[in-house]
Amino acid sequence: MPNVFSVPIFFIVFRETLEAVIIISVLLGIVEQIANPQSGGESLSAATTAVEPEKEKQNIESGQPEAPPSLPSGDDTSSDEVQRKKLLRKLRIQIFIGSAVGLLTALAIGAAFIAIWFTEASNLWKKSEELWEGIFSLIAAILIFVIGITMLKMDKAKAKWRVKLQEAFEGKAVDGRTKAGKWALLVLPLITVLREGVEAVVFVGGVSLAQPATSIPLAAIVGIICGIIIGYFIYAFASRTTLTVFIIVMTNLILLIGAGLFSKAIGLFQGYLFSKLLGVDVDDAGGTGPGSYDVRGNVWHLDCCSPAGQGWMVFAAIFGWTNNGTLGTILGYVFYWIAVVVTLLFLKRRENKNRAQA
Amino acid sequence: MKVAVHPFLLALFGALPVAAGVHEVWWNLSYAYNVSPDGLVPRRAIGVNGTWPPPPISVSANDTLIVHATNYLDNPSSLHHHGMYANKTAWYDGAVSITQCGIPYGQTATYVVDIPGSGQWGTYWVHAHSYGQYTDGLRAPFIIHPLQELQTYDDEYVVVLGDWYHQEHDPLLKHFMSIANPGGAEPVPDAPLMYFAHGDAYLPPIASATPNVSPSTNSVGFNENATLPFESGKTYRLRIVNTGAFAAMFFWIDGHEMRVIEVDGTDVEPYVVEQLNIAVAQRYSVLVTARNDTSSNWAIHGNMDTVMFDTVPASLNPNATSTITYSSSNSLKNLSPVPLEFYQPTDETVFVPSVVQPQLPPADQVVDLEVTFDTMNDGTNHAMFNMKTYNFPKVPTVFTQVEYANQNITELAFGELAFTLDHLSVVDIVVKNGDVGKHPFHIHGHKFQIINRGVDYTSNDTTLNPPLKEGQANPIRRDTIQLLPLHSATLRFVADNPGSWLFHCHIDWHFSSGLAAVFVEATPLLADASVPQFFKDQCATLDLPSQGNAAGNQDPNNLKGLPEGPFPQILGWRPKGIGAMFGCVLTATLGMATVTWYAVSGRKLTDEQLEEEVRRQRATKKSWKSVVASKLKSA
Repeated sequence: MPNVFSVPIFFIVFRETLEAVIIISVLLGIVEQIANPQSGGESLSAATTAVEPEKEKQNIESGQPEAPPSLPSGDDTSSDEVQRKKLLRKLRIQIFIGSAVGLLTALAIGAAFIAIWFTEASNLWKKSEELWEGIFSLIAAILIFVIGITMLKMDKAKAKWRVKLQEAFEGKAVDGRTKAGKWALLVLPLITVLREGVEAVVFVGGVSLAQPATSIPLAAIVGIICGIIIGYFIYAFASRTTLTVFIIVMTNLILLIGAGLFSKAIGLFQGYLFSKLLGVDVDDAGGTGPGSYDVRGNVWHLDCCSPAGQGWMVFAAIFGWTNNGTLGTILGYVFYWIAVVVTLLFLKRRENKNRAQA
Repeated sequence: MKVAVHPFLLALFGALPVAAGVHEVWWNLSYAYNVSPDGLVPRRAIGVNGTWPPPPISVSANDTLIVHATNYLDNPSSLHHHGMYANKTAWYDGAVSITQCGIPYGQTATYVVDIPGSGQWGTYWVHAHSYGQYTDGLRAPFIIHPLQELQTYDDEYVVVLGDWYHQEHDPLLKHFMSIANPGGAEPVPDAPLMYFAHGDAYLPPIASATPNVSPSTNSVGFNENATLPFESGKTYRLRIVNTGAFAAMFFWIDGHEMRVIEVDGTDVEPYVVEQLNIAVAQRYSVLVTARNDTSSNWAIHGNMDTVMFDTVPASLNPNATSTITYSSSNSLKNLSPVPLEFYQPTDETVFVPSVVQPQLPPADQVVDLEVTFDTMNDGTNHAMFNMKTYNFPKVPTVFTQVEYANQNITELAFGELAFTLDHLSVVDIVVKNGDVGKHPFHIHGHKFQIINRGVDYTSNDTTLNPPLKEGQANPIRRDTIQLLPLHSATLRFVADNPGSWLFHCHIDWHFSSGLAAVFVEATPLLADASVPQFFKDQCATLDLPSQGNAAGNQDPNNLKGLPEGPFPQILGWRPKGIGAMFGCVLTATLGMATVTWYAVSGRKLTDEQLEEEVRRQRATKKSWKSVVASKLKSA
């Protein structure tokens, strides 16, 4: 299975898609607030009143007509109703078009990168040297560590994007680059989704170095589909509990994979050194019996159940299983998890400190 | 040795006056420099009196051979007269760690080879039996002429076959027995050797040979520079001996028929063969009649059996080709190359000994030995008999025998692969080759009868794995037998020679990696034996004990410290593996629990509180940025 479906790639794409869906759902929420100010009554109105003085100031300063469509505060005539619905539809279409363009661009960039990598570059290295495989697995493991930790912050994603997008809408510069304007609702989702998409490409690219080429397309596609579906459900039912559960399961699974990859990287480096010592590729020579591995530093070795075998491949992909455990691979696995624990403890402490200061 | 002697021979020996002589040689075992028999890479080799190859020894069957060997080599040395019985005098057998400690630098050991007492004659050889020195060149033919040969011929030559390495033995062994060679690939020889001797001198190179670099090998012709001068109408005996360390040889002569008349010192009825597959340490004699047509010279082939080589480098020429010269002006007829099917193993059971000895009675003792090779728990590759690898004892085995001859001593006190034999019992060794390589097995102190051979010892099919037949009329006898992969053989002899006798694969690399066993024979009869004092003094010089059992203990049944190992690997889930796996699972569980805790504890905030927090963080970030920007502007 790991040769047709890469589990880490699935999770990464799933998570990025989920984030993109959240962005779009936040945008849709904002748009609905704009179109129907009475309905909802969420913090958007509070936020807009809070920033209105500043908005007026900006309008005076820049002299640009950049305010969002005026808020009708008067009576609900039927023509207003129709106008509002039209506006809503127009805004929604803009959002979807913008997001779709952003997504497709990101996909195109990602697919191009992976295609070039796997047809040209990887042939030179990956097949011939355990050393390169080890380096790629190491890079993938580190990237997964980062993704895993940041995945835990996804429940704040909605809040984060709300704030960011509101500020963008109210004319405030977002990161000094984007400015709200007539095309705000097209450009904004496009750029946001594109940025998220490129970030996803970088992560997927890094992790895919350690995966067989055939396993990526299916995993990516399934990840996108699942992300859209799950994201929609979360948006529709607005349940934070579901999201939290998802986050916990995904993060644990992806960190398991990451720890396994880290351990595998160490194993590959040791295997490379042993091959160099023997002067031949150990895999070619000995199978899984005595003589196929280095006895120095070995903790366990089974004459079977190699990760190259059928069912064991899945076990290896998810848990980092190997029939040959050395001091290096075992300590690597343990230290990876210890790093996770330490990092999370540190982050929580910092958050608590910040909260206490407020 | 119990032999049913042909009445004619008995009369012959009884009638002639036995002029018992002594043939005495003085050999300084020393290095020869710039040795290059193949003309490729000069190297240091081990020779005698500074020259290589060591001189052939040629004696009469009623001579006693006395060899004074003085050692000038880096390591302790010894000389083993291969195939000689050393009746009741195992200390003259020359097997370091079994029959002596080794000759220290500058000292001399005197070997007394009692040929008349043993009743042996034929083609034998002498070589070092310590520290791989025979691989480095310390080897020479040793021919014993009976008063009257059974066959008639006009002249005889010795054909010395062998393999040759460009590097010395010690670095090759170091790599062979290292963790970098878990598969046990033997060092591949760099060249084959074929050279000839006549009497006690080697034949010189042909006239057209380019002068050899080395003064010591200059006077001997090797391979294409060697030739046998034949005259038409004459019949020649060729005594062929494989003195190599590893490679078996295929031997034949273009345009001439070979009739085998001797196998390892056993005369046999003439038998025509097309070619001979001669494993390391084996000997054959053939009769070759010169052609009437003398218009061509003919090629003699000595080709190495490369099947055993781990790799066959492109630069290696495994075939030695010498010539038979009828006339120096002739052109050479060389009928090679030959098809692969031409190379066949030699089945020695077709040869019929001229001196009839019926199959010995059914065995009193059967020793089963199964051969395997594997990577051991220290990462090196070792050979095993019955899953045990041989280790040299701390005290030479025969010294232990003599010391405790009157006491009750257990078999294990002689070492793990030691087998005690009772005096005059009939012994069967059943060897089963469970390895993928071909192995020549040699026994010291005896010749064995080959009474059974099988092609696949694991099979139930009786054509592949025949049962033992008793009462065969005249089975072939020899001292070195080659076993192909999965083959088995039953070797029978009588334990009539009190002493300690090695049984081992004669491929030097395999002997070093433990493919050996020792037969500790008729110990009680050694009670009145006296080991020459100088052997024990030499042990002392080398700081080695000469008293005690194989573990070096004075109490013969105290086995503490018995040399053993390395051992076959035990794979699978062992305690430390299980513990490590448990540790991994534990840390992963802790990690996942931390993740869950972190995610859950973040839920306590409402959406509004989260947004406030995000705004605050962004405000902080912005203020930091403006501070940095203003600092940069002012800088």
